[in-house]
Amino acid sequence: MNQSEFTRRLFMQSMAGFAGAAAAGSAFTAMAAEGEALRFWAPGIAKVAAKDFSAMAAQAGIEINNIAKSARADEAIQKMVVGDGQKLFDALTDNGGGMEDAMAENKAVVPLDTAKIPNWANILPDYNEGGAAAETIRYEGKVYAVPYISNADSMAYNYDELGFHPDSWGVMFDSQFKGRVALQNDYGPTLTNVAIYLKESGKIEIDNPSDMKPNEVKAVCEFLIDHKKKGQFRTFWDGFQNGVDLLASKEVVMSSCWEPIQLVARKKGANIHYGTMKEGHQTWNNVLMFTKGGRQRGMDDAFYKLANVYLSPWFGARTLSTFGFAPQMTGVDDYLNANTADFDTETRERLLDILERKQQRYAVKGNSWQNVFPTHIRDYLDWWSRLQAA
Amino acid sequence: MTAETSPAIEPPAGRGRDFAAKPRWRRLLTGEDGIQKVIFYIPLVFMTLFFALPVALTLVWSVFERTRFWMEPGLTLFAYETFFTSARAENFLHAMAHSASAVVISFVLGFPIAVFVRRRVPEIAQHRVILLFILPFMISELIRLFALRPVLSRHGLVNGFLMDIGVISEPISAILFTPLGVVIGEVLSFLPFMVFSGFLAMEAVQKYIFEVCDDLGAGAVSTFKDIIVPLAAPGIFAGSVFIFVNGLGVGLIPNILGGPGATNAGSIVFESIVALDFPLAMAVSAIMIVTLMALLYIGHRLFDLTRILEPIS
Repeated sequence: MNQSEFTRRLFMQSMAGFAGAAAAGSAFTAMAAEGEALRFWAPGIAKVAAKDFSAMAAQAGIEINNIAKSARADEAIQKMVVGDGQKLFDALTDNGGGMEDAMAENKAVVPLDTAKIPNWANILPDYNEGGAAAETIRYEGKVYAVPYISNADSMAYNYDELGFHPDSWGVMFDSQFKGRVALQNDYGPTLTNVAIYLKESGKIEIDNPSDMKPNEVKAVCEFLIDHKKKGQFRTFWDGFQNGVDLLASKEVVMSSCWEPIQLVARKKGANIHYGTMKEGHQTWNNVLMFTKGGRQRGMDDAFYKLANVYLSPWFGARTLSTFGFAPQMTGVDDYLNANTADFDTETRERLLDILERKQQRYAVKGNSWQNVFPTHIRDYLDWWSRLQAA
Repeated sequence: MTAETSPAIEPPAGRGRDFAAKPRWRRLLTGEDGIQKVIFYIPLVFMTLFFALPVALTLVWSVFERTRFWMEPGLTLFAYETFFTSARAENFLHAMAHSASAVVISFVLGFPIAVFVRRRVPEIAQHRVILLFILPFMISELIRLFALRPVLSRHGLVNGFLMDIGVISEPISAILFTPLGVVIGEVLSFLPFMVFSGFLAMEAVQKYIFEVCDDLGAGAVSTFKDIIVPLAAPGIFAGSVFIFVNGLGVGLIPNILGGPGATNAGSIVFESIVALDFPLAMAVSAIMIVTLMALLYIGHRLFDLTRILEPIS
């Protein structure tokens, strides 16, 4: 048999096999998928209760094969839209408020049937249609994502150095703290939080801090450039450990940052607190999505079981305890009070206190949900480069 | 002499007979017409696949149209216009200035080390001494850079020492999270490149040259300036290019040691990619490539870089 004959036969055999498989229909596919591990592309913050995903898998009653993922949007797009992500992954996580749009528009993920997630009834009301966070999980009106963690990012400060508990972003621009302030080195959250401050304090008129028009971006950046030139900022931090080190070493007395950063910095001995800013905060979430490849392989059942765990108070209590992230479902306080075996009195009180303070932050009127890809993103980037150069 | 008249040449005992008896697969592996011949094309294939092709793709993608989440074929210079009309060009020039400063400082600190090792260390130990400079590379660059923070920070070792001996009364904040911090980071990260290439260049300078200089009464400065540096110029330039390129491209350094918004070409590319502006990222990369090619061309015209590859006589 020569090469072309071999190739032709192989092709015909494959086609016959394919036709047979197609004839068996979706029931066959589902049967084949039964018992298969869900190939889950997700970072470490998506798991609780164990060093790996075993506790999550046991809770869902499925097998999970986790592949570690970074938080970089470009990596996810490259892998899922033009790379081999559809073959490799059944489910993935990423930022809500933009990545679900990018994935859905490119048909990398599929719409979800929320009726198959019993705990969907527990989801925070903000996610219901018309709610403040509704668009962070929807694309063209359909639900494409399940939120599993979120937070309202704020400012961490060293109480020993400040001597008071600030309640406004304005303190970051106060000249008495010149050279002792750090901001996050990311145009998205930094420009949004500063825009919220400038809008709510009546300094600049801004329609939507998460999706600013070019002239609004310019005004916010010019405000920052002015303060940078006066030496207000020590540095812009990038990366978790970098953020921790700045606070823990007392190199800065305040920093806009993620909540887990201040938890770690406090463990290192600095008297760090995380405030509630009266003007508002950028709120963000991470979401779970189901890939087109996963659906083609019949992994629906496993996916929905995992989604159900993510919306259970079991997960909510543990992500709050482990990372300080806000649960995405109601009933976590009741769950904590009912599970005295897993959470001792001291832990329960601490977690309930954190939860209450989170709810205070979420209740601030000026909050604005994250928008990963604002309409005028090039203006954001261009003005960010001017701020860098100033 | 024809085949008929030529005496039969017996293959020498051993090798010749062995070769004639070698199976075909072995001749393919070791014969001049076999893999030995093909193996010379491997660098060509490697450079085509991993240099020429990526560079070509970078140039092509840099003129594509940006879509919301990706890019599509097109022919537009919009990404280049964005680069030059925003402050990115300014940031790029700042990064070049920082890298150039790091090159000068590395030369001042590193090249004398190479000369010293070549002149003063016994020949048998020279390579071992130079190898010591590899040790820092065995530690992750991230850790090496992060380790500078407790040294250079406001409450760090340098400030603590200067305050203890009474030189300063307030901590100096200009040595970290400033352009100076970036230059310090680049020098400490890339100094070994100058030592290695300087040493290699110095290997081509025969020891008798130093003796002749001494005999003729040339001072240390004029020997260094008029004899050593011109002879070692290609090596010094090679080391300088390594340092300059890394300083321009390694985003970790401004990120960890730089001031608010400190950046370089590598981080400009990274920021563009994260914002899914792939044509802009490609355009910045293309500008980097052109800059470095121009540098190499200038270096070659000035110092004849092929001298680096000449055998040491």
